[in-house]
Amino acid sequence: MAPVLREEDEKNENIPKLLCQMDNHLACVNCVRWSNNGLYLASGGDDKLVMVWKRAAFIGPSTMFGSSSKLANVEQWRCVMILRNHTGDVMDVAWSPHDVWLASCSVDNTIVIWNARKFPEIVMTLKGHTGLVKGLTWDPVGKYIASQADDHSLKVWRTMDWQMETNITKPFSECGGTTHVLRLSWSPDGQYLVSAHAMNNSGPTAQIIERDGWKTNMDFVGHRKAVTVVKFNPKIFKKKQKNGSTPKPSCPYCCCAVGSKDRSLSVWLTSLKRPLVVIHDLFDKSIMDITWTLNGLGLLVCSMDGTVAFLDFSQDELGDPLNEEEKNAIHQNIYGKSLAITMESHLSSTIIENPEMLKYQQERQGNQNPNGAQGSSHENQTAKLTNVLNGESLEDIRKNLLKKQVETRTADGRRRITPLCIAQLDTGDFSPALFNSVPILPGSSTSTQLTPQISSDSSTANSLGLRPSHDPTTTSPNKTAEENKDSGPAAVNSIGMKSNLLLTSASKIEPMKALDSRFTERSKATPGVTSVPLTIGITPLDRVKDSSSVKEPKGKDETSSDSEDKGMVKSLSMAKRKGEMEGAEVVEKRKKGRPRKDAKMMMPISQPFPQTPVSAEKEPSRLTTPVAVLKLPTPSIQKSFSTQVSTDAITYLEVENEVSVVSGARLSQLKWSREGREWDMLLTSRIIIATGSSDVVAVACEDRTLSVFTTCGRRLIPSIILSAPMSALHCSGHFVMALMASATLSVWDVQKQTALVKNESLNPILSGTDATVSQSFLTQQGVPVVSLSNGKTYCFNSSLETWNLIADKQDSLVQCADFRNCLTSQDALGSMGPLALTQSRNLSAGRLASRFSSTPHHLQQGMTLAFLENQLSSALILLSASEYRHWLLIYARFLVNEGYEQRLRELCQDLLGPVHKSSSSSWEPTVLGLRKRDLLTEVMPVIGQNLRFQRLFTEYQDQLELLRLK
Amino acid sequence: MAEVQVLNVAVLDNPSPFGNPFQFEVTFECMEDLPEDLEWKIIYVGSAESEEYDQTLDSVLVGPIPAGRHMFVFQADAPNTGLIPESDAVGVTVVLITCTYRGQEFIRIGYYVNNEYTDTELRENPPLKPDYGQLQRNILASNPRVTRFHINWEGCAEKMEDSENVDPAPNAMLSPSCTPGKAPPLGLVPDNSMNCL
Repeated sequence: MAPVLREEDEKNENIPKLLCQMDNHLACVNCVRWSNNGLYLASGGDDKLVMVWKRAAFIGPSTMFGSSSKLANVEQWRCVMILRNHTGDVMDVAWSPHDVWLASCSVDNTIVIWNARKFPEIVMTLKGHTGLVKGLTWDPVGKYIASQADDHSLKVWRTMDWQMETNITKPFSECGGTTHVLRLSWSPDGQYLVSAHAMNNSGPTAQIIERDGWKTNMDFVGHRKAVTVVKFNPKIFKKKQKNGSTPKPSCPYCCCAVGSKDRSLSVWLTSLKRPLVVIHDLFDKSIMDITWTLNGLGLLVCSMDGTVAFLDFSQDELGDPLNEEEKNAIHQNIYGKSLAITMESHLSSTIIENPEMLKYQQERQGNQNPNGAQGSSHENQTAKLTNVLNGESLEDIRKNLLKKQVETRTADGRRRITPLCIAQLDTGDFSPALFNSVPILPGSSTSTQLTPQISSDSSTANSLGLRPSHDPTTTSPNKTAEENKDSGPAAVNSIGMKSNLLLTSASKIEPMKALDSRFTERSKATPGVTSVPLTIGITPLDRVKDSSSVKEPKGKDETSSDSEDKGMVKSLSMAKRKGEMEGAEVVEKRKKGRPRKDAKMMMPISQPFPQTPVSAEKEPSRLTTPVAVLKLPTPSIQKSFSTQVSTDAITYLEVENEVSVVSGARLSQLKWSREGREWDMLLTSRIIIATGSSDVVAVACEDRTLSVFTTCGRRLIPSIILSAPMSALHCSGHFVMALMASATLSVWDVQKQTALVKNESLNPILSGTDATVSQSFLTQQGVPVVSLSNGKTYCFNSSLETWNLIADKQDSLVQCADFRNCLTSQDALGSMGPLALTQSRNLSAGRLASRFSSTPHHLQQGMTLAFLENQLSSALILLSASEYRHWLLIYARFLVNEGYEQRLRELCQDLLGPVHKSSSSSWEPTVLGLRKRDLLTEVMPVIGQNLRFQRLFTEYQDQLELLRLK
Repeated sequence: MAEVQVLNVAVLDNPSPFGNPFQFEVTFECMEDLPEDLEWKIIYVGSAESEEYDQTLDSVLVGPIPAGRHMFVFQADAPNTGLIPESDAVGVTVVLITCTYRGQEFIRIGYYVNNEYTDTELRENPPLKPDYGQLQRNILASNPRVTRFHINWEGCAEKMEDSENVDPAPNAMLSPSCTPGKAPPLGLVPDNSMNCL
């Protein structure tokens, strides 16, 4: 802070001003917050990420490659954790008291609570806001967290069970317009919560909400436009004792700074009725964020105009700050326990009612601790850094790198370089000798010839983050913690700094513009380019501006006096060629895009099940179904074809029709080969479809016969005469599925020689639609599955003798269901099976749930519930045990998270069954070959995670235990 | 966030005669072991006016890449002079280094290149047909222009969902407040800073 406080320090070139610039965010950074212990910095941005930064010791100065600033970073801050969960821009982040949790809120309408002691674990996702969540604040006692959103509401959540404590809407009902942020704040004594942007009698206010009963009787009035930021001073003050006067016992009070869109700042003391000070027109644009220094006397304010203001108060103005002990005493008076005590036994104040639960909770913690210990020891190891350089200096290595590096040619003749590993890292502290001796600066040589043209910009330094009250003269790493403590959890919204650059040499620049665009456009040659440049984050407003500015005539370039116009014209210089480019790209996209999409529709979803290449999609023109008589297309007869069946041991089937003519009869040959073994078989009719599984081979011929062979080529059954020509044929295990052109379906178990499905018509699923069969397959368990071109997928249940809908692409439930927070990392892998196969695309669509972020929470909850139940029953009907288990666990997790006690109880009851054996019980002990009680044992830990269900947990845990003992 | 961060690119052998190979020493850091190779390319922009004259000087695969910090030298031959429009041979152009992972470009590093005659006589009266033997190539190494792209590192062919939410940022390299057409819009702003709203 020295250069901010004292002018002579500012001018002293030896005192670094910009300490570190972190470029890792891919888009605009909306919020940065120091942890309470000063060791970490959390940042959230438009790239949907929250990053946690830590000071990396032992790295010498270096610069961020590609940044304009020539200054080396004085301090090295490394991103130690990237928290991914939000599906929209992260607007605010907040560390809980004692850094137990980190909360982040986003335009995806959610608030995510991260376990700050075990990143990236998510403790809870708070859902309920129906608008963009733009501000967060923790209760200083750690009992609540409050959030404010664009949905005209302020919600207070309990940290005990993460449920909503109260929802305050009245003061916000009049609010029109939106603000970029809504940073609310809780007073340090915990008694008052002050909101941003409220309205009272059509005047903008900051609403004061009392902790006691959440009453909203008072507000801070006076700003002319919406309040964007409220920030309480971390100190509680008492009246300055004047010398000589008798010390009167005075009530302690708090101090609060309020920043507004009207570009002014007001500072209030809760002991005064009027503001202590109001500063008008402090900035050119709206205030974005405010922070106090930890000593309570400094105030930093940043604005959208890219500037930061520092305000220095004296104790005469604010009063005497209470020390931590006195503050704790106040907390103890009000809340019974001091803050420190509360937080030590942090997580919840729920009483654990029985030893089983306690044991379980302890086991959980026990399990976590060794992990943590392992993690840290691992960290130590990696931090130690294995130096692979064998004592050579980096300089030597660099000299010889070209000669030394291993270069090979790949099979297709391309150069391949094996890079030289100069450091192995995870948490990444580097050997000091390495990087201090040779600080790598971009560009080993500098050019002189070009500078007159180009270097006029290099004077502009940019700042991403700023740590206030940091003493820049000290760079010793072990001091950082203290320093950060001094500075407090400071926050500065990072905005591109106002560049005060001199515009020079305008005349020579014209040809450069065309070149400039080249830096940002991706090469078209790159195949499969799917994403778009993300180099800056864009708010919707900007997008509008950009697109409009492209169309504007160039003559407008000169009007840049007003800062608002700057945004308008900034993209212009690039407009010319970029514009052409975009036009061209659009055309190209159309050319390429359409047919590919169509092709995709026609193509079957890639599947591990055997399928002949000659199936329905071969002749799309014939797919149209007649209205009256259902008829499925039959594949045309080919002279010869081959197909690969069975994926585990690579097996090929080769068919050659009319290979030889023997005494007038034309013979067709079927050839089978697997890993060297092969056999062939002659058939008298031309072969239309051949397919196989690991157990059988099935062949459909032109003369409407179906032959089935073993994998040794032995005929299993005499030719089956079909009622109609074959449309599609599938094998799986011992099962053979035949889809006839007459739109009937049969499935046989050739081992048991029984028919599972007998000439079942597709009428129920095809009639009334003009859909056609786009794909069909047979599961390992012999369940036939038919997908239609309208996106619906059915399976035939042979016990119910019904068609069942198992997937529907248009299903809105699929689109809106949001169960991501119920997924664990293993779940993502474990869901392979027929159900996943039919739904592969829909499920990714399900992840778009956040797009429908305006959907009310209860509705989404209901949709997710319905969706999960659908999944569960579909997995059941498909006899897919692994998928059933997968969805059951997700379902259980969802029920636990959302608190559906009744359903959870029913689920448990079904899994447990009757404890005492009775003959009348119709309860099946297994489902799809899985023992239900084993499933329940798997579900129990999920239930145990939510203390609300501890009684349920105990009840079933006891019964399971009882059964185990029997 | 990207799995691979380019920490530094040092331009070696610079300035140098036009016919010398390009040499870039690339230092990058990888957060996790990469199952596939990175593909690096050097593209020489023959003419500012059209992409037609772009030449890919060389492309190399770099791998295998375990987590950690790595460096390599990427050397590529000088551009084929026959493909450069004569009018654009002398003066300022651009050389690009791009890196793709699984076919997706995630970083593009651009340098201005000034091709000039060393001889004063030639400089004042440049021959109609450029004399490449006399040309000196000077890469403005101190001012790399880095553009990063969000890509899907997980590598499934499916399009990244969120990519479609993000509009292209044609003005990425411009300072919000610099007036286009007047200021040389070079390296003013680190590419990921911006003017919000």
